[in-house]
Amino acid sequence: MGFSDPTKDKATEEQLVKDLQAGEMGSFEQLANLYQGKIYSLSFNLTRNATDSQDVTQEVLLTLFRKGHTFQGKSAFSSWVYRITLNASYMKLRSRKREPNVSIDDLLPSFNKAGFQQEKIQDWSESTESLLFDNETRKVIQKAVDLLPDKEKVVFILRDVEGLSTEKVGNILELTIPAVKSRLHRARLFLRKKLANYFGEYKTRKEGK
Amino acid sequence: MICCKECIELLHDYLEGELNPEIEASLEDHFADCPPCIAFVNTYKSTTRLCKDTLKSNDIPDAVKSRLKDFVDKNKNT
Repeated sequence: MGFSDPTKDKATEEQLVKDLQAGEMGSFEQLANLYQGKIYSLSFNLTRNATDSQDVTQEVLLTLFRKGHTFQGKSAFSSWVYRITLNASYMKLRSRKREPNVSIDDLLPSFNKAGFQQEKIQDWSESTESLLFDNETRKVIQKAVDLLPDKEKVVFILRDVEGLSTEKVGNILELTIPAVKSRLHRARLFLRKKLANYFGEYKTRKEGK
Repeated sequence: MICCKECIELLHDYLEGELNPEIEASLEDHFADCPPCIAFVNTYKSTTRLCKDTLKSNDIPDAVKSRLKDFVDKNKNT
């Protein structure tokens, strides 16, 4: 699908959705193929569990199959699918014992009275390339994202990881544009701080050798 | 002169190119004199990229893919 024409893909998808709404189930298989990767990926980033994500993907596909004809088209079909996926993923999380979230405010930047940064900021942005495929680094990044409070996490995953637009994320989560931007920014600040602890230390260690 | 706190509050809109030109210019004036803020911007951008590169690669495992295919086949024939 990498080299396909997005405009054509969109037209095909619209037709498939129309067929599904009309109860023509032949379109179900194609829509399932189009969406299952996105459903699984989103669910995995929220639950971090392969079995849960498989269950969620099946549940969402089943909802599309059973309730696709009731989809009213008030918002985009993809927004509807993302919303069902989020709900199903949260149901899974509710049944599991979870680690308490860290307070995001504790990790936001701190300033002095004049509004200048108080802590020493290291620039570790150049030293991350070689570490990206390192297993330990991946775990640190996953863990940092897992620690985000739910409200910020879902915005971060939809916007920065899945690459959806601010408007689309607002539409899926029923949030205003400023609310999406503010949650995204807070999530990035939190994650930056978490990664700074890791990469900053790594850089110091390396330079100290 | 705009301070670090204001710069960091405006970072999202700055990187999206959504600030009005006057505010954008004062932000850049601040950055020119503030290495900590430059480091902050660089690492803020890296954070997004690193998280995206790490979390984007959740391909469905083959075993799950095949179970999903059975599931879809079963449903479409009912």
